[in-house]
Amino acid sequence: MSNFELALWSFPVLLVLIFLRMPIALAMIGVGVGGTYLVIGTPMMTLNQLKTLTYGTFSNYSFSIIPLFLLMGQFATISGMSTSLFKAAESFLGHRKGGVAMSAVGACAGFGAICGSSLATAATMGQVALPELKRYGYPDSLSTGALAAGGTLGILIPPSVILVVYAILAEQNIAKLFVAALIPGLLAALGYMLAISLWMRLSPNAAQVSPRVPWPERLRTLSTIWPVLLIFVAVVGGIYGGLFTPTEAAAVGAAGTFLTALFSGAMSLAKLTEAIQKTAGSTGMIFLIILGAGIYNNFLSLTQLPQATSLWVGEQGFSPWLVLTVVLLMYLLFGCVMDSLSMVLLTVPIIFPVMVALDFGMSPDDFGLWFGILVLIVVEVGLITPPVGLNLFIINSMAKETPIAATYRGALPFVLTDLIRVALLAAFPAITLWLVWVIDAF
Amino acid sequence: MYRILEKTAETIAGTLALAGGAALLVLTTLTCVSIIGRAAVPLDIGLGPIRGIYDMTEVGMAAAIFAFLPYAQFTEAHARVDLFRWAIQDVLDQLLDLLFNIAMAIVAFVGTWRLYLGMQDKMSFGETTLIAQIPVWQGYAAGLVGAVGFVVVACFCVLRSGRRLALARAA
Repeated sequence: MSNFELALWSFPVLLVLIFLRMPIALAMIGVGVGGTYLVIGTPMMTLNQLKTLTYGTFSNYSFSIIPLFLLMGQFATISGMSTSLFKAAESFLGHRKGGVAMSAVGACAGFGAICGSSLATAATMGQVALPELKRYGYPDSLSTGALAAGGTLGILIPPSVILVVYAILAEQNIAKLFVAALIPGLLAALGYMLAISLWMRLSPNAAQVSPRVPWPERLRTLSTIWPVLLIFVAVVGGIYGGLFTPTEAAAVGAAGTFLTALFSGAMSLAKLTEAIQKTAGSTGMIFLIILGAGIYNNFLSLTQLPQATSLWVGEQGFSPWLVLTVVLLMYLLFGCVMDSLSMVLLTVPIIFPVMVALDFGMSPDDFGLWFGILVLIVVEVGLITPPVGLNLFIINSMAKETPIAATYRGALPFVLTDLIRVALLAAFPAITLWLVWVIDAF
Repeated sequence: MYRILEKTAETIAGTLALAGGAALLVLTTLTCVSIIGRAAVPLDIGLGPIRGIYDMTEVGMAAAIFAFLPYAQFTEAHARVDLFRWAIQDVLDQLLDLLFNIAMAIVAFVGTWRLYLGMQDKMSFGETTLIAQIPVWQGYAAGLVGAVGFVVVACFCVLRSGRRLALARAA
């Protein structure tokens, strides 16, 4: 078997192992190490690499942003900001048809600005909003669907752990990616609200609206969420303005959310311990995947597969837009069954060089940002599609009486808006890039 | 006996996770102090950024991440795909889980062994970090604490999944 064939065969092997419920990180390490052995014929190279590879990966300064963002998200969860955000959103939207559900989505967007994880956003906002939605008589499927979808705003609205990983793999500017993610993220929130509004109008139901809140009171609730705004501006603005490195910004964010939790009186030793444990679990999991993806991708580059693929796609003379469509569809498909971070780590090193070589009529820098945002959105759709949509599971486990089938159904309209948004952003790159251009012009 | 081992593994994983978390909190604080110091430079009051804060972040972060691995292993936090869980019989599922845990224990052991050798290399080269001049082997040594914990906890997890398999077969 040639090295090239070996590399091609490694994909199905990897998939079978993963479908047998092998931890993804372990499957990548196993296939990567095994493949490298078959190519070279001796385990010595891998063994020698391992002397420095693990420490080198874990001590990589760029990656150190990840544990800090995870910690920041955990502190944000404790801070009580979820309740304030929901109340503020409700004072503006609650009196509209479907307004309480829209408020939940709006609050998710706000929470996404200080939390880079979808699961944490879904879990935190679910706790606050699900009982309220029930109280106002919303259909169960709408409540769970809206919150699961709203949870994805945690990742779509910067800061975002997936964007950080993409930035490192594709060698893109993290700050610009965060800025580029902003408008698509807000469009996502808007799309979800529209979906709720349409749902409420098209299918009659018993959901109540909350009383209209007078403006002075609205401004008062708005004033309670200043820490969110301050932290968001400090983190994203600080990186963009060159005040901090991204890692420093994440530390500032973690400190900011910690202080918010402390002053709100919600922080306790037990809560702090829990936050650290959750950060420990996710960090350990993510870095093992990063390590595994590194080993597996080393094997692939050894076989020259990425270069050969890039060359082959270039020679076929496919339309770039066709290739983009196929790639995005593939991400959507795999996103339904696979964890989004593993998918990005596994595929971006192969796919990005292929894509950047195609001519979309924009500069490589612009392309890197635009493609990153598209990938971010399509992998996140996987969180709210069956069969393996983690956000759906999290929200469903919180709404005990709602059957999972109802949650699946409830998520559908939101998935639809996701697909429409991806098509829009793909067709009009300027939507994503405009804000970056404007800020860069200053 | 099993309860004692379980308690031991849990304590190791829990303690290391908290120690790693403490390192993370210290790094967060130091980074913020360093930023404030840097902002105060123009004031010329003798304040400045912490020298070598980036090196310290790298060393501390690596130690923290190694220390988090046992906790991720003990709590089975690893990302996996449950798509075909329905198709896999319970006993077979437990058997596979046992195999995967054995594989993880081997990976943990080999990784730790190589990390140890790597540390010896760095010691003999006398390599230090760029700015703070921290000997690199010390970073490796700090990482080894978590890595050894990972091996121990991974071995316990083999035992745990073996026991689950036995229970699943008995049922």
